[in-house]
Amino acid sequence: MFNLIIFLSLLILGYVFGRMAESRHFKSILNREEQLRDILTFNERTLPPGYEQASGELVGGNVVISIDYFKQISAGLRNLFGGRVSAYETLIERARREAILRMKQEARLKGASKIINVRLETASISKGGQDQIGSVEVYAYGTALIPTP
Amino acid sequence: MEYQNPKIPEGINVSQEHPLKDFFIMLLGAGLIIAGLIFTLTLLAGSLVRYVPFELEQQLAASLEQELVETETVKPGRHQQYLQNLADRLVIAQQLPEAMKITVHYMDGDEVNAFATLGGHIFVYRGLLEKMPNENALAMVLAHEIAHIKHRDPLVATGRGLTVGLALMSLAGIADSALAQQVISQVSLLTTLGFSREMERAADNEALLTLKQHYGHTLAADTVFQIFNDLEDGQGLPAFLSTHPQSTDRIEVIDHFQHRHGSHQGTLTPLPSWFNEP
Amino acid sequence: MDEYLIIRNYIVIFHEVKYKIHEGVDTVILTNIEAVPGKKIVQHLGMVQGNTVRSKHAGKDILAGIKNIFGGELTGYTELLTEAREEAVARMSQQAEAIGANAVINIRFSTSSVAAGAAELFAYGTAVVLE
Repeated sequence: MFNLIIFLSLLILGYVFGRMAESRHFKSILNREEQLRDILTFNERTLPPGYEQASGELVGGNVVISIDYFKQISAGLRNLFGGRVSAYETLIERARREAILRMKQEARLKGASKIINVRLETASISKGGQDQIGSVEVYAYGTALIPTP
Repeated sequence: MEYQNPKIPEGINVSQEHPLKDFFIMLLGAGLIIAGLIFTLTLLAGSLVRYVPFELEQQLAASLEQELVETETVKPGRHQQYLQNLADRLVIAQQLPEAMKITVHYMDGDEVNAFATLGGHIFVYRGLLEKMPNENALAMVLAHEIAHIKHRDPLVATGRGLTVGLALMSLAGIADSALAQQVISQVSLLTTLGFSREMERAADNEALLTLKQHYGHTLAADTVFQIFNDLEDGQGLPAFLSTHPQSTDRIEVIDHFQHRHGSHQGTLTPLPSWFNEP
Repeated sequence: MDEYLIIRNYIVIFHEVKYKIHEGVDTVILTNIEAVPGKKIVQHLGMVQGNTVRSKHAGKDILAGIKNIFGGELTGYTELLTEAREEAVARMSQQAEAIGANAVINIRFSTSSVAAGAAELFAYGTAVVLE
């Protein structure tokens, strides 16, 4: 009985705060994406025309985002039935976009206007095992092209 | 060649379904599947376990018996003698199979409780005896516990516990995270509680028939439940969360039984005068 | 002969339902080199990405667990990863289409790990307009 109460309150707390954090994060992502819109990202290695003289520098951004209790339970249930784990999709989406944004932010500080050869990598802290906190870690990196004056 | 980054529309990489809707559908599905699984397993375990010979059960219980009987609270003496005597008479009235041997133990504890365990052992607490106004009320308690043994309920419960435990362990291995531990254990608890209440009802019924056989009436059969009801004082758990049916419901069943069998006429047998002395 | 045809039709229908998401995106050309052979790129539209998380039902997980004792291919999980990769690619193509591209070049895949028994995939590449 006591366990059930703890479980339910964790679930509700997870849902409410998880939802709040998620919508706040998405809002901020959209906002910053708009601000950094002028920095273009590509993942080819070839230099765009006109950048032959530009200096290149490695830029990167990473982020670790954890899931909330509600998502954990929901994904666990989904694991019983199989199919698309929608609880984790937003998580990955957030992590991916946040990492790219942080990379762009670094490029902005360096005065770059384009990033080429962008790669996304996932670093792993926890594998999401039985008793571990599920989290997703994304690292985005690329070469920022800084036009020479 | 032109270089630009057009705005990509939202919502391609995430499902638009509301998380709560998805969650409740899955919860319902998982609950039903697990409840069904546990239900079949317990039913199977329960029916198979009845074929285990009583001698084997006694052997199983031998080690347990040592442990329980050797605790300091168990007191042989005239109370124990009296209880054993009463139980032996009830055993005849209940027509227990030859092989089943009932042993009653008197426990020097304040709890208002009595229980039956593996191997035909019944334990009665002093706290319960002190509240008994007459022999008939006490006979109801003993007959109820003897009925549990007759139905092989302690063994069935143990068997179910084992099967369900094993099933849960394997399920928990598949579905990782806290989910398994929580959802599965809650659902299985509710399902097994349902079984337990069913056992209690069957034992109550058997006990009433025994009293009618032995005393010719079932007066004072509801005394023990009145006592439980007073103790709970409306603080009891709701029926579906409890191992036993609610006391008020059990009293009602007894009333119903008395009317149907016309067993509400007769004289009560008093307890011996020394009974409530230490 | 007729029966055979009927069965075949069923398979086709089943296939269409299962991969419904691919509808309308098979026009996007996908490569993992920096060009599309024989075509000229006229516009670079930047990065497009697709991600997904998928899992198999508990039965397949049990089977995989058993298979793990004996070794060999875990077909259930091969299927899972194939589906996940296809979905990620489909979503990426959808993004590319939405911004008016007709090809995605230099595609890369990456996997992450949040949950045990689930596949998390993303696919990304550069959306381009071909001549």
